[in-house]
Amino acid sequence: MSDLQKKRLAQLGQQLQQDQLAVVRRQAEGWRNGLAGLTGLVSVVLVLKGKDSVTGMPEAWRWVCAALLAIAFGLLLFGALRSVQAANGEIGAGTWLNAEQLFGAVLDEVERTQRALATARRCTAAGLCLIVAGVFLGWVVPDTSAAGTGTAGAPSVLVTSAGGTVCGQLVLADAHGVVVREPAGKGRPAATEVTVPAGSVREVVPVASC
Amino acid sequence: MAEHRLTHFREVQTDPATNPAATVERSPDGRWYTVSGACPTCHGRTVSRVAHGVLGPGKGLWGARPSPPPLTGVLTVYCMCGFPHPARPDSSPDTGCGAFWDVPVPDPGGAQP
Ligand SMILES: [Zn+2]
Ligand SMILES: [Zn+2]
Repeated sequence: MSDLQKKRLAQLGQQLQQDQLAVVRRQAEGWRNGLAGLTGLVSVVLVLKGKDSVTGMPEAWRWVCAALLAIAFGLLLFGALRSVQAANGEIGAGTWLNAEQLFGAVLDEVERTQRALATARRCTAAGLCLIVAGVFLGWVVPDTSAAGTGTAGAPSVLVTSAGGTVCGQLVLADAHGVVVREPAGKGRPAATEVTVPAGSVREVVPVASC
Repeated sequence: MAEHRLTHFREVQTDPATNPAATVERSPDGRWYTVSGACPTCHGRTVSRVAHGVLGPGKGLWGARPSPPPLTGVLTVYCMCGFPHPARPDSSPDTGCGAFWDVPVPDPGGAQP
């Protein structure tokens, strides 16, 4: 009785033995190409949008966000490099290329490639998580440049009049006078609006801050 | 060792009782077995290696793969004598007379009977 299937399986085993290096190389090439694209995309987005997305955040959060994105980019880059390494391994480096040693070297190379790929996968996953965290921070951290004092974004001015100088955000300037909101501080518990009559205004100068 | 016989290509399993003795050796790192012996049908010498599969993640720390457990039972090998046996189809991946047989794997540490 001939169990021909047993022979076919034995042949399949030999075939798999020959092919496993090619199999992991193909996997590694897929990861290499994907990660190269992903890293490129992330770096382009970071360069184009990175600064916009963090301006307006409070200082501390801005650093947290920048650190998250930088670490994420580093992880992605490392993962991409590992996958390149996995796809272009140097089989047989440092061993005699005789059959017996090469047989072991192929097995070593398969394992090394898979380890490199596993590292690449972990780095990619961690990097993507960090990017998501950074983007999420951008959504939930309040934008201080828009929040805060009511008339946000209005320019600050220094108004010199007969009665002295007033500094604050410009609220209104018309035929009756100039209205300025003086910020809190310097004896004022809260921001107050001060009206300087038109007749007494000598000079209105824009300033960076009061 | 007997002379090689250029038998017609036939994929038959030979009777274990009449198989000539074969040696089964485990590699020093334990990752593969080397089976060598004469083909029961054509008497050509055949050496085949059977490795432990290394695809997939390793179990150990950092994916390091411990030496696999020893194989028990039999190893199926087929004739790879390399002689051009007549009537072998061109499409066949075989490089021998087509015969195949089981070689018992000795106990680890024990000698081949
Ligand atoms: Zn033969
Ligand atoms: Zn044979």
